[in-house]
Amino acid sequence: MASVLMLENIWKDFSGLEILRGISLEIKEGERHAIIGPNGAGKTTLFHVITGFYKPSKGKIFFLDREVTGLSTYRIARLGLSRSFQITSIFPKMTVHENIRNAIVSKLGRRFDWTSLLSRSKDIQEETNRLTELLRLEGVKDMLAMTLSYGWQRRLEVALTLALDPKLILLDEPTAGVDVKETRGFVQFIKEVTVGKTLIMIEHDMDVVFNLADRITVLNQGQVLTTGSLDEIRRSEEVQRAYAGRK
Amino acid sequence: MNRTVPYWIAGAALILGFLLLAPHLLPEMKIHLIIEIMIFSLWAVSFNLLFGHGGLLAFGFGAPFGVGAYAAALLFQHFAGISLVLTLSLVALLGFVTGVIIGSLSVRLKGAYFALITFGFQMFLYAIALKWYSVTKGDDGFGVTRPALSLPLAGNLSMANVVPVYYFTLAIVVLAILATYLFQKTPLGNSIALVRENDVRPPFLGYNVYLTRLTVFSVACFLAALAGGLFVFFNEFVSTAVIDMNISMIVLLMAIIGGSEYFLGPILGAAFYVLVQNWLSSLTNRWFLVMGAIFIVVVLYLEGGLISLFIPKKDQPGVSMGGK
Repeated sequence: MASVLMLENIWKDFSGLEILRGISLEIKEGERHAIIGPNGAGKTTLFHVITGFYKPSKGKIFFLDREVTGLSTYRIARLGLSRSFQITSIFPKMTVHENIRNAIVSKLGRRFDWTSLLSRSKDIQEETNRLTELLRLEGVKDMLAMTLSYGWQRRLEVALTLALDPKLILLDEPTAGVDVKETRGFVQFIKEVTVGKTLIMIEHDMDVVFNLADRITVLNQGQVLTTGSLDEIRRSEEVQRAYAGRK
Repeated sequence: MNRTVPYWIAGAALILGFLLLAPHLLPEMKIHLIIEIMIFSLWAVSFNLLFGHGGLLAFGFGAPFGVGAYAAALLFQHFAGISLVLTLSLVALLGFVTGVIIGSLSVRLKGAYFALITFGFQMFLYAIALKWYSVTKGDDGFGVTRPALSLPLAGNLSMANVVPVYYFTLAIVVLAILATYLFQKTPLGNSIALVRENDVRPPFLGYNVYLTRLTVFSVACFLAALAGGLFVFFNEFVSTAVIDMNISMIVLLMAIIGGSEYFLGPILGAAFYVLVQNWLSSLTNRWFLVMGAIFIVVVLYLEGGLISLFIPKKDQPGVSMGGK
């Protein structure tokens, strides 16, 4: 299978403080990959580096066989790499429909179109309606994002990421803060709407990981401790030591 | 919401009808006032494209207005018989270029830093206008003569009288404000609004925040310069008053007193400002003191500005999010 994302010896330091220390990782097409690890392992930093939000101090990043090291975030996003945030980052004073439309306008390359009216652009409207339905937001589409319950805001967070039809989806703790009762339904939602897509997620909840992922990478102190299938990780002594060690 | 649409249409028709007939109904003094309101409306709308729609508060928004004013004055002065429409087009384009230059160095900054650096640019331009006496006549200023408007078939239309000046200004201002309104409804207008709402997420959706902000800044400057050009066309005079600190504060007052959350707010603010100033200055020459007090009252007790007296506030969430 083709490689979607390839990280080659990624280092990242902040004025000498090394957060990522030589990470190499390959994500193949269709893979559903979870990144786990104790707090401070560098998981979110790794996402920031992959998305171009931070430039790596050393190392190379290839996305769909194209080097993207040092490219701006928006350029990488336009290539088809889309992420969600651990801390919900939506457009609070816009409706759910308008939130999704923001992603659609970008996806259709109409960000700088100043010669047509948004309300008269049939392609944008139709695609927005299609995605709103597909992502199960039909029932709340006219609500302002800020008035949604937290659980629905998390859904919108993930939906914004998916509305771009990305070739690689990065989810940063999608279920963070979601009620235990709601989590099951939410995970089911993620599972259904990302079916067949290449996915990398950061997740602390092991139930969620075992439910969504087929491969796991364990990060510890900025390094890849191990990568393997669910079973391999479950059996790994190294992992158990890393997790037990921090207690 | 939809039920209110006919009222809007009726209201707009009424106002437009009044504006079309005004020169035949009102004494010349009042026509002058309306022209002033129209020009300041355009300026306040351009300011609010940046502030209310784009979320960028520029303290130095007198810069593009002043550049437009001086450009128009110098063109009128040095190129006698220059076409009026050409002059205003050049003026607006120069405003756009000014926007690109100032914007490219400032829109990366946020909040107070952005506000102040734009102000810094304005003070720089103000200093030039003040000191380059041989060209600008400093704070004495200089007078110009309005050129005639050359129409394709009808020949030249003299602008010596206030009535044609009124109709010409009305046409330009209505067109420019309408264009601004429609601009906000385009996908690009939406890109600008979403960057205001949240400037972390857009790059991850593929939006170039810097270029989006630079665009709205430059477009706003284009309109502001046009307003500045009209201001000189109307007054037949230019001095450093068009680019001093006061003028920047005035546009801020107009937008906030009128209400920056709505498109019509700044227009209402401009009308209110001009009328109240005119009335107050006939009573006292300390009118700015009263204007300041009005500003304070609006900020403290009328958060959405005067327009919110007519329209309920836009975003009232059903669920309180705490704070604003």
